[in-house]
Amino acid sequence: MLRKSVFLVVVLVVLGLGFNAFAADKTIELNFISWSYGVETVKDNISKFEALYPNIKVSYSDFSWFDYHDIAVQRFLANTPTDVMYGSDHWLQEWAAANWIVPLEDYFPDFKNYEKEFAPYAVEGMTYQGKLYGLPYYADMVVFLYNKEMLKKAGFDNPPQTLDELVEQSKVLKEKGICKYPLALCFAKNEGQSIEIFTSLVYSFANGNMFDADLNPLFEKDGAVYKALKFLYEALNTYEILDPASLTWGEIDLVKSFGAGNHAFTFVNKYNLAELNNPAVTNLAGQFSIALFPGETHSCVGFVRFYCMTNMAVKRGKDVIDACGKFLNYFGGKTDGTYVVPKRWALEKGLGFAQLPLYDDPEVVNAINQWGNVDIEKEQAKLARAKQGMTPFYGTWDIFMREQIHKALLKEISIEDALSASAKYWNDLKQKFGKK
Amino acid sequence: MFMREQRFSYLLIFPAVALISIFTIYPLLYAVRTSLYDIVLSMPFMKPYVGVGNYQAVLGSYYFRGSLLNTLVYAGMSVCLVTLLGLGVSFLLNSPFRVSGVLRILILFPWAIPFVVSGVIWKWIFNSSYGVFNGLLYTLGIVDSYVSWLSHPFYAKLCLVTAHIWKEMPFASILFLAGLQAVPRELFDACRVDGGTSWSVFRYVIFPLLRPVLLVVVIYETMIGITTFDLVYVMTGGGPGDSTSLLSWYTYAETFKFLNLGKGAALSIILALLILAIIIGYIRVIRLEEVY
Repeated sequence: MLRKSVFLVVVLVVLGLGFNAFAADKTIELNFISWSYGVETVKDNISKFEALYPNIKVSYSDFSWFDYHDIAVQRFLANTPTDVMYGSDHWLQEWAAANWIVPLEDYFPDFKNYEKEFAPYAVEGMTYQGKLYGLPYYADMVVFLYNKEMLKKAGFDNPPQTLDELVEQSKVLKEKGICKYPLALCFAKNEGQSIEIFTSLVYSFANGNMFDADLNPLFEKDGAVYKALKFLYEALNTYEILDPASLTWGEIDLVKSFGAGNHAFTFVNKYNLAELNNPAVTNLAGQFSIALFPGETHSCVGFVRFYCMTNMAVKRGKDVIDACGKFLNYFGGKTDGTYVVPKRWALEKGLGFAQLPLYDDPEVVNAINQWGNVDIEKEQAKLARAKQGMTPFYGTWDIFMREQIHKALLKEISIEDALSASAKYWNDLKQKFGKK
Repeated sequence: MFMREQRFSYLLIFPAVALISIFTIYPLLYAVRTSLYDIVLSMPFMKPYVGVGNYQAVLGSYYFRGSLLNTLVYAGMSVCLVTLLGLGVSFLLNSPFRVSGVLRILILFPWAIPFVVSGVIWKWIFNSSYGVFNGLLYTLGIVDSYVSWLSHPFYAKLCLVTAHIWKEMPFASILFLAGLQAVPRELFDACRVDGGTSWSVFRYVIFPLLRPVLLVVVIYETMIGITTFDLVYVMTGGGPGDSTSLLSWYTYAETFKFLNLGKGAALSIILALLILAIIIGYIRVIRLEEVY
């Protein structure tokens, strides 16, 4: 009897030790996807994260920015393992409404405390139905870049402050043969940034809004939206200062052409300035500068791309949720009191950030001033506004709007007809989604 | 005895048929079923049955007429030019010259390249800043500056058709070549002896015997032309505007961009029925039974 009892105790102790050992060695695998930017930096960040949390392994995949949304949708539909991922403010409504991504504050209440340190347009871009869905990967603005050497050659000391000045300076650049098309944009039909650029133009006008507080489109004649499209139309067809190839260019094509000295002005995401002024990338490094967005208000679009957690991760259980929390906090939050990863992106790649305390970091300020101008950037950030109309059907309407803009620019339809059709389609979608 | 043999035959082919059914018939039936429901992924909790509502919505949509026209023009041009050029090249390859054997192999290379890669290649060729096509025209003095071909609605269509022909013509030429080589030489000789010209030989001897191959080529190329998606996606993204947005592009857009599975499925069924109708038309026009 005694022998049996001793034997039983020994078995239980051994089992207990074995279980603890098993639990201690249990590795959690997280599936992380992003679009293809700075992939080597992402992988290095992942290595550092894994070193900090040895029981978490991150399986990483990246996809082209052009295809990212559609690939993400396919992954959601097919339940392809995806726990944490990049998201964007213009997809948030759609993905949250479909219950593909989850509000972070429901699982990590402490994350809510970060909001007071984030730029307001970034918080707005990560919030759906009052809940925070992400921590910022980066936040940036659509800014105005110009080639200061070209302007000097043309006899201008300062960049244009208004769109009319931009047209006048462009005409001079063209007449003097400095460049054939002074203005270039990334307005390919499949370039998601094009609507952000167009919205920035709308914001640059006084009382510039795409929609009112009730999400009714403000596309009437002589409104800001009309004026923005008219500016583009005249730039392309009347003054011939806008490169027609802009209708086929994505961001990379634009930056290549601009960086090759083919154009004097562009509206593009600010982080591209770091690459343009990088001597390792372009021979014309140092010629490119940032200025306040030309217009009556100098306002522009500010946007945020963020890390989010999927419903698939939640279904995998508490351990995975905890691991996701650690991941999200490392990449978008603070480690030992510092925004380690966002700071690295700012220093190494010139990415903008939503985490405002980084503007007080001398290292970050010096890094920005190597290729940009932190004072102008800060001033522009104060004037930046989040995109309007963020709804589950914004993406559907966006495709239609891009087609209408193209058709108006190509003179297939009038500006009035393009905007009228876009407004009608918006209202039809609003009614359909509102009805349900 | 016969019944037993028949049953045994069915048993033998059953595994293959079952496998094919799982990967073709089941998805087709599922697509038809999906097309009868209003499934919008950003409204996951409501999937009402709408019957033919999706079909009506798609047929009455802002894009259907334009994209149908684009698709028919694109497919029409592609099929005609692939067929004609393929036939012409096959005659060349059928002629005895020194490197004809090697050329018959090399000519298949474009066909072996995936449409996506082909699209990237041709996008670079037509590029407005560094494209080879612009470089050639500029060097020859045909243009005085580089042209943005892909930003013009008409030229963008032509660029797509060019890329499509480059990709598909080799396969058509090989099929026609096989057909030409099956034509008995005696018939050529007999026609010539009767005083026939080259055109007579083609019209009365070669063409009738090539009809089966012609049918295969036009059916195959029509299917490819109407369902082309990857080339469009890579080269133009459906733009500028909607000038190169084919029905296949909108099928993709409805499903993955607009997140409307019901309409996407309805559009794909409509596309399949369109192809079926055209194929039936081909079979009637070409009238194979009159050949022999």
